[in-house]
Amino acid sequence: MAKLELLQSINAHKGIVWNVSWHPNGNIFASCGEDKVINLWSKENQGWAVKTMLVDGHQRTIREVAWSPCGNFLASASFDGTTAIWDKKSGQFECNATLEGHENEVKSVAWSPSGQLLATCGRDKSVWVWEVAGDDEYVCEAVLNAHNQDVKKVVWHPSLEVLASASYDNTVKIYKEDQLDSDWNCVATLESHETTVWSLTFDKTGERLATCSADNTVKIWKEYKPNNELGVSVSKESSWKCICTLSGYHTRTIYDIAWCHHSGLIATASGDDIIRIFKEAEDSDQDAPTFDLICKKYDAHSQDVNCVKWNPTANNELVSCSDDGQIKIWKFLDE
Amino acid sequence: MSSRFSGALQLTDLDDFITPSQECIKPVKIEKSKSKTGAKIKIGEDGYFDLSSGREQKLQKVEITLADCLACSGCITSAESVLVTKQSQEELLRVLSERKYTDSKGVTRDVSLVVVSISPQPLLSLALRYKLTAQEATRKVSGYFKKLGADLVLDMTLAEDFSLLEAQQEFLERYRNQQNDPSGKFLPMLASSCPGWVCYAEKTHGSFILPYISSTKSPQQIQGSLVKQHLAGRRELQPSALYHVTLMPCYDKKLEASREDFYSEIYNCQDVDCVITAIELEQMLSGEDKSLADIMDGELDWPWDESDVKGVKGHIGSGSGGYSDAVFLHAADQLFGATDPPMEYKNLRNPDFREASLEKDSQEVLKFAIANGFRNIQNLVQKLKRGKSPYHYVEVMACPSGCLNGGAQNRPYQGESTRELVGQLYTMYRELPQNEDENPTVSRLYNEWLSGKHSDKARAMLHTQYHALEKSDVALNIKW
Repeated sequence: MAKLELLQSINAHKGIVWNVSWHPNGNIFASCGEDKVINLWSKENQGWAVKTMLVDGHQRTIREVAWSPCGNFLASASFDGTTAIWDKKSGQFECNATLEGHENEVKSVAWSPSGQLLATCGRDKSVWVWEVAGDDEYVCEAVLNAHNQDVKKVVWHPSLEVLASASYDNTVKIYKEDQLDSDWNCVATLESHETTVWSLTFDKTGERLATCSADNTVKIWKEYKPNNELGVSVSKESSWKCICTLSGYHTRTIYDIAWCHHSGLIATASGDDIIRIFKEAEDSDQDAPTFDLICKKYDAHSQDVNCVKWNPTANNELVSCSDDGQIKIWKFLDE
Repeated sequence: MSSRFSGALQLTDLDDFITPSQECIKPVKIEKSKSKTGAKIKIGEDGYFDLSSGREQKLQKVEITLADCLACSGCITSAESVLVTKQSQEELLRVLSERKYTDSKGVTRDVSLVVVSISPQPLLSLALRYKLTAQEATRKVSGYFKKLGADLVLDMTLAEDFSLLEAQQEFLERYRNQQNDPSGKFLPMLASSCPGWVCYAEKTHGSFILPYISSTKSPQQIQGSLVKQHLAGRRELQPSALYHVTLMPCYDKKLEASREDFYSEIYNCQDVDCVITAIELEQMLSGEDKSLADIMDGELDWPWDESDVKGVKGHIGSGSGGYSDAVFLHAADQLFGATDPPMEYKNLRNPDFREASLEKDSQEVLKFAIANGFRNIQNLVQKLKRGKSPYHYVEVMACPSGCLNGGAQNRPYQGESTRELVGQLYTMYRELPQNEDENPTVSRLYNEWLSGKHSDKARAMLHTQYHALEKSDVALNIKW
């Protein structure tokens, strides 16, 4: 039987804990929440403890934190309309750049795999791409108005400069840069969810994308290139097709989803307070895959689970956070 | 339907949960007679009826005008639906056939003269679409508007010349003021002819950015003054009896035309009544199953004086009207005695952010830039906010590639890129004839109409002002 073993439970923030982000080395993670504080946690002898508290960076709720791929920068997205970039060039963590431009709440922030680009999105329905221009300078590369409602989440392809966003308008959009005029365009719209898409996650190849929604389903999408063997018709350079819908498993909104790039497991965070783990079947068809629910952690938290993240170092550790103010660290065991 | 406004305008205060039309926060004044208890309202097929007085009293529908929308810090998109009713092709056709129009205050007036003013960018867009030369397209568009009932069809070269001359003059004043008061907010001077940019600046950056924005009116609004204030007088007509239509490259121009600042309390009229764009003209033609090439030729009119210098003209510099080049060359000459210095732009991070400078004694004495598109507006604003702007002047346009790529220019055909299309339009713009020297009619009008350059009247007719909009903390505006 597969199970999630609780390693540690932490009273982490006053009020809602919105998001957690693993440092690329897997020994540190950052958390943020309603209390406008960012906590950096590291593993001491007996468990995880706060090492640094970053305060006074934002005036309202901090909705998401993201470590840069190099691990030297931390970005935080806030309802105050700004995104702060923190680093410890001076020896301790300080906010040395602020990305301004969103009209109001910033909901998500993500670094590209190279660390040279950042994406943000928010309630003003826009997705912004920023380029790291050196010396704490960040330049706006694109403002994308493809969605017609609040944009909830942005994530980057694991190896390419391809961006995906999920929105209250029920769709997911994919963006790429047009090299000729160095401008970004929406190249695909993924339509199938019946209501808000809250989060999304690429698999390790970037060829598949998993999305989760307030329609209580998880959908798996696959990118098809022109002249693919299956004969899927492709407009422009590629098409994304929904190849699997996991319905009937969740009873409430699914707020977050994480596809482990080592184990291939998919974890979901839901408003029914449960964390679920899905595993692709051994004989799964690549164009119509089968995923099995292999683990269901009831009462993982006492309220909505907002975020789940797999430790990037392949140790099967999972961190989750919730409206209940807690962060929990889990170990996935498949016995 | 996706919004047709420029990206800058789409990005203003919108809601997660309610579509814009439902979230209008404009307070509505309801005339109420004292009643004993709550009102009783009946919903009938033809409206709402108040039954509290014992008899059915029809309740007035709340009308939100475009002016209300522009004066409000709330959403911008509801302005779009309001616009559609006031400044549409249908409205234009109706006014031309009935010779009556309803103004922005809801008053219906008779029309005795219909004037259509044509700007170069949509004309080129139409010429390209119908494979005509700019001159052919000018005649066809003139013929088309006259067939529809326009009395005069005018080019806007005069207004463009006024706008450039005033911007040149304004720059010299700002430069000198900045020299005298280095802590003042005179420079960089930011171009003001793009209403998308101006509206975004007013709604989002308010009093921080507005002092830098040039007070010179855009060519559309100077043309508005010329037609309503000057031409009406020459023809001994009430300005409100003139219906003034402009052909423009973007929808944002409709917002500009509707601004309260361009409403005359004395004459009870807007300077421009209806803005029609290249896309809409194409739709009007295709609605009649016609190509522009099939239309009978018509002539442009020149009602200003005895000279005959009519024609759609180009200006040196960008396809957005050449503000940066015109202001730069004038300033180089007047401030540093440099006649015809080379203007070489170099691209910054993308081709839509370019800068050029003037050196004197190996010192950079003038630094100008052209910033097109919303992303570059952002980068410019951030530079200003951090005190890192090195510029004396910036030509700012909300659309990538500027006005030739305005939001209501004909879109590329499938398989054709916007870049190629704009490249062709730019070539055509460069081929337009240019005025060699100062337009003699401009000098005459400065003297005869405006009582000289720098006069109060010139200031009133050729300049405008901007208004910071405070974000309101109305309960309905709070979002979770």
